[in-house]
Amino acid sequence: MMSNDAGEPIARGHPELLPPRTGRRRDQEVTRKAATISNIVLVLFAVVFVLPLLWLLSASFDSAASWAIKLPHFTFGNYRGALAGGGLDSLWNSLVLAFTAAAVSTVAAVLAAYALVRHRIPWKGPLLLMVLFMTGIPISILVIPVYQIYQNLGWLSILPSAVFLGVTSLPFEIWLLKNYIEALPVDLEEAAKMERAGTLQILRRIVLPLAFPGIAAAAIFGFVNAWGSFIVPLVLISAASQTTGPVTIFNFIAAANFQYGDIAAFSVLYSLPVLVLYVAMSRFFSGGFVLRGGVK
Amino acid sequence: MSLQMARLGQDGAPVTPDRPVPPSGARRDRQPYQWGSLLLIGPALLLLLALFVGPSVYSFYLGFTNLKLIGPTSLNFQFTGLDNLKTLIHDPTFVGSLGTTGYFVLVSVIGAVVVGMLLALALRTGGRIMRVVAGGVVVVCWMMPAVTAGLAWYATTTANGALAVLLGSPNSDYLAISPLLIVTMANIWGQSGFVMLVFGAGLRNIPNEVLEAAKVENANPWQSFWRITLPAMWPLVTTTVLIVVLLSLGNFSLIYIMTQGGPGTATNILPVYSYQQGFVFQNLAYGALIGDALVVIATIIAVMYVKVSRVKV
Repeated sequence: MMSNDAGEPIARGHPELLPPRTGRRRDQEVTRKAATISNIVLVLFAVVFVLPLLWLLSASFDSAASWAIKLPHFTFGNYRGALAGGGLDSLWNSLVLAFTAAAVSTVAAVLAAYALVRHRIPWKGPLLLMVLFMTGIPISILVIPVYQIYQNLGWLSILPSAVFLGVTSLPFEIWLLKNYIEALPVDLEEAAKMERAGTLQILRRIVLPLAFPGIAAAAIFGFVNAWGSFIVPLVLISAASQTTGPVTIFNFIAAANFQYGDIAAFSVLYSLPVLVLYVAMSRFFSGGFVLRGGVK
Repeated sequence: MSLQMARLGQDGAPVTPDRPVPPSGARRDRQPYQWGSLLLIGPALLLLLALFVGPSVYSFYLGFTNLKLIGPTSLNFQFTGLDNLKTLIHDPTFVGSLGTTGYFVLVSVIGAVVVGMLLALALRTGGRIMRVVAGGVVVVCWMMPAVTAGLAWYATTTANGALAVLLGSPNSDYLAISPLLIVTMANIWGQSGFVMLVFGAGLRNIPNEVLEAAKVENANPWQSFWRITLPAMWPLVTTTVLIVVLLSLGNFSLIYIMTQGGPGTATNILPVYSYQQGFVFQNLAYGALIGDALVVIATIIAVMYVKVSRVKV
């Protein structure tokens, strides 16, 4: 760099004054070395991390599956076995649970986050601090008191559990949407207010479309949070017909005649929606920046 | 706005600075309170009060009663003062569980942060194919529901599993030999992807000029990591540590699927012990008290974080 900018005019005709050329070559060497080390690190971690996943996949297609990791005797039978005997029902129950939880939490979170950002609310600071604090509380500690309350009300079933699961993701969703809406330009809303649009109209016509990527992310968070929850359906859902996916996996393991292949296949089916949703979410996020063009 | 002002200036009209509005009755610089806000905030507020704040407070009350899961005191329970607390302090299982939880959380955090950082750094300079493969695998591990992760790790670390075969003694059951280490590794496996993504974004935000300048000054990669990269990322590191601590502190599912807190009490972290006392030994009140201890610990950690990082909310 020096040789091009300041060094050259003085050094013209005096090659001994130029800085040694070896600098750049050494740089390249260092870069190549760094790349090699990085690749070794990546290969090592990839191998270690993929092992448990490999078992899950191979056992799910193996007619003679066991805990061992090996090439499968290929079959689709495990997937059929996993969906029979209540497997499909429990996935459906998980879907109902997670969808309800996501709907409840996202609607409440969008409304609250909008008001917290754009309106003047008494004790706004302490409220937000409280919400932030709640995002850190381990949910398992709420299970006993909520069990006691639901037990007295006769609510130990899937929909009340879904509402509770929605509430457990509510603090994080409020926080996420608050940050998202804060970053939106206020001009469109002010223009709409000039045109005497009501708050609900502003929400529906302006905030919802602009904040859509954030809302989608919040909804997906709520869905995945409920879909993955194990302790809440384990404790708060009493009827066997309302069992969800994680509890089914747990029951599979506890069962006397243990079907390795069936559990593996069921776990793959149970995990797939989460993977798909995360991919969808990353799409939403990259789309989010395009929408910023709303105000010029 | 600035564009309009500039145009006005060109037209010759003097651009006057905004003068403060003279006070006339109600303050105009502040938005008034609206009833509508209450309607918007209402649903979230009610839900949080009824199913989050309420139960938390109720849990502290339940912790000091003789509530049982079944039997006569499941309906007619009453306040028993400090009895449960005295039992808790002298309960060797609880004291042991504190140690187990501490180990699980501490080793998980160190492991996940180191692995996540190594991966984030390696992803910057690694080859394209390796980046996609390794990054993809680690992120998928992070996305796996805890129950699936627990099952996969159980299969990998039990007798005849991949770990035993790789270490050359297929019959050893490593999940029984060192259960706490194995469940901690499973937790690290599940959290590293998150740390990697967060640190990866943080690394992209460090201006390239700074790192180039360090190179010109002949700093080796080791020095520039400790002197530039890490200090620049420090706020992100502390926040990530807090999140991983809290996520590990509440990771009931992973451990319950793999070991149910056992063998014996080897992996009995606080949420597992709370569940066990409440729903296996049927001491709901005692289980609630263990949960309360967990809340107190989480709060202390969060307050420490605020003190250390001096965040402003």
